[in-house]
Amino acid sequence: MAKTVIQVKDLYKIYRIGENRVKALNGVDFEIERGEFCCIVGTSGSGKSTLLNMLAGLEKPTRGEIVIAGEHMEQKNEGQLVLFRQAHVGFIFQSYNLMQNMTAIENVALPLTFQGVDRKKREKRAIQMLKLVGLGKYALHRPGQMSGGQQQRVGIARALVVNPEIVFADEPTGNLDSNTSMEVLQLMKKIVREKNQTMVMVTHDNYLAGFGDRIIHIRDGKIQQIEDNRLKQKMQEEQNIEDNQNL
Amino acid sequence: MKILDLLRMSADSLLKRKVRTVLTVLGVVIGTTSIVVMISLGIGMKNSMLEEMESYGNLRAIEVSLPGRYSDESGGETEEKYLDDALVQTLSQLEYVESVSAILQTSAIIRAGNYECYANIQGMSIEAMETMGIPLGEGSYPTPGDELKFLYGNCVISDFYNAKTNVYEYWETGTLPDINLYADPVYVIFDVDKYYAAGGTDENGQAILPPKKYMVDSCGMVEGGPDDWNNYCYYVYCDIEALKLQLQRVFKGGVIPGQPIQKSGKPYKEIFYTTIYVNVDDMEHVTQVQNLITDMGYETYAEAEWIESQMQEMNIIQAVLGGIGAVSLFVAAIGITNTMMMSIYERTKEIGIMKVIGCRIRDIQVLFLAEAGYIGLLGGAIGVGLSYALSALVNRIISSSDIGITKISQIPIWLAGASVLFAILIGMLSGLLPSIRAMRLSPLAAIRSE
Ligand SMILES: Nc1ncnc2c1ncn2[C@@H]1O[C@H](COP(=O)(O)OP(=O)(O)OP(=O)(O)O)[C@@H](O)[C@H]1O
Ligand SMILES: [Mg+2]
Repeated sequence: MAKTVIQVKDLYKIYRIGENRVKALNGVDFEIERGEFCCIVGTSGSGKSTLLNMLAGLEKPTRGEIVIAGEHMEQKNEGQLVLFRQAHVGFIFQSYNLMQNMTAIENVALPLTFQGVDRKKREKRAIQMLKLVGLGKYALHRPGQMSGGQQQRVGIARALVVNPEIVFADEPTGNLDSNTSMEVLQLMKKIVREKNQTMVMVTHDNYLAGFGDRIIHIRDGKIQQIEDNRLKQKMQEEQNIEDNQNL
Repeated sequence: MKILDLLRMSADSLLKRKVRTVLTVLGVVIGTTSIVVMISLGIGMKNSMLEEMESYGNLRAIEVSLPGRYSDESGGETEEKYLDDALVQTLSQLEYVESVSAILQTSAIIRAGNYECYANIQGMSIEAMETMGIPLGEGSYPTPGDELKFLYGNCVISDFYNAKTNVYEYWETGTLPDINLYADPVYVIFDVDKYYAAGGTDENGQAILPPKKYMVDSCGMVEGGPDDWNNYCYYVYCDIEALKLQLQRVFKGGVIPGQPIQKSGKPYKEIFYTTIYVNVDDMEHVTQVQNLITDMGYETYAEAEWIESQMQEMNIIQAVLGGIGAVSLFVAAIGITNTMMMSIYERTKEIGIMKVIGCRIRDIQVLFLAEAGYIGLLGGAIGVGLSYALSALVNRIISSSDIGITKISQIPIWLAGASVLFAILIGMLSGLLPSIRAMRLSPLAAIRSE
């Protein structure tokens, strides 16, 4: 029924530091479907970031296959990877990583600038995105003039402005307090759902991960368990309907 | 990425680091200025030398004469060569040759009132006079087809001596002979040998009669007073055809002085030329044409010949001067590389982010190359401006002293343009290594760096 957009097969990443070999990923297999909001959760050092970076083509796997949107990531060179990211991928960072000397609107428009979109067109889309994340009034603010939550929303707007098929987020709420974290999370979920985009989010917070459609639990570079919330949600919805009928 | 966006982005990042940009640009300014000023000095020296030489004579002319008339005996049965109309024809058909003029030179005694002068008469075509640009003070050039008329050099008058006292009055006393060459006709004795021999006897013991005098009008005077030296001031010019006719009339089939004689001892029918001037279209081609003519077996001389060797010397001086300037630009180039390296270390994270959110690798390289290019452009442009100012200053100082050179520093427009382009090129070359480094940065490592 649903189409697979990410397919990971037998993935290994081994770091060699002197004589030591650190198995950051130790044989990982999973698939993610289109439109899915997938959370990767695990303790610190379990290999979450490593996995996400390899999905986004920022790092090469030691062994194994990663197929995204039908293309093998492990076979691409750096130039091809940039082009691939330009076309398919949005990335949200834990520490926002905005350009400090650019305004919010310039930051959001940056991926479009890289794609060669006209200035007028890209600023129009950037301002739309900023409104969508509730920062319409902050278009001319620089990162230093905004709170962490606001900065992360700019980061989200920047990741989504190119309408990517897939959005990767590495601890997007890691630097935010719990209230703001919830707001940001709901915002991301809402936008991604509306556009039927696929989202992969890394977090070490089990509570936040619980909002995902599916939760991949990872430990010592291995998948411990994959939780599917969608069944639960469906059951809950049915329960609600039943309850309503009973009323 | 659009090229305009690329250029704007790199300009922005330069503006962000104002102090460092200014300092780096300053290095390029100094480098460019020293190169431009040094080269401008070389050009100025070269040009003033050229100007000086041009006043000595036409640099595009080749003088053709007969080969070693004196070493003829050793030559034996070699073919006799003469400067005749056929040769004029041949020479004018050579490549690069603009015009050819033949000159028939003869000596004669000119008599005006009580004064006499042993004059050097140059017969040439009117076109040749025009090409040489003999400046006229009074009257005009001779008219072709007309009877023989003289155009006097402005110093000729000082060569007249009092025939009675044999004193060159102008040299001795400073007073000009009381004659007017332009207004009054003169008497000319063409057969000079006979004139001096007159009164004596020939080998047969017969008395030699003084030769016939001919009355000749004047058509003009070369510009200038008796003390104003120029190339034409000591000659008497006339139309070559008129001179030929006149000589033939005077000597009536006898031997004309200066003309070759056949083996039989008889003169040739034709009157041969003394020298032929070949005008080449450009100074650059002089040597080439000259070699051709020399290979044909004639003696040649060109002013350009020794100028060339002088020029080569000047070129070496210019290269040395330019080299001194180049050293400071080289130092500036290292400065650019250093600045760009620093900038990349500082912006490692930024570069990483850009790569992650979809900036092409090529574009990143172009961003940094453009930045370095801007530094070159700014430094080059300011440097050229400064050079103009310095050059004006140097010229002012030099002209107020009396060395005789008016513009020792000259910056032609090509030098200004080339210097700016060169500065941009140097900037981009210096930025090449840093830009490759930026391009190769792994995005992940870059993001992690703080
Ligand atoms: N570049 C590297 N060189 C060597 N070892 C590395 C490198 N990157 C990660 N590792 C190791 O791989 C393991 C997994 O790291 P990773 O960053 O994926 O953890 P994580 O799950 O993201 O942890 P956190 O929640 O703290 O971010 C760790 O043991 C880490 O030390
Ligand atoms: Mg991590």
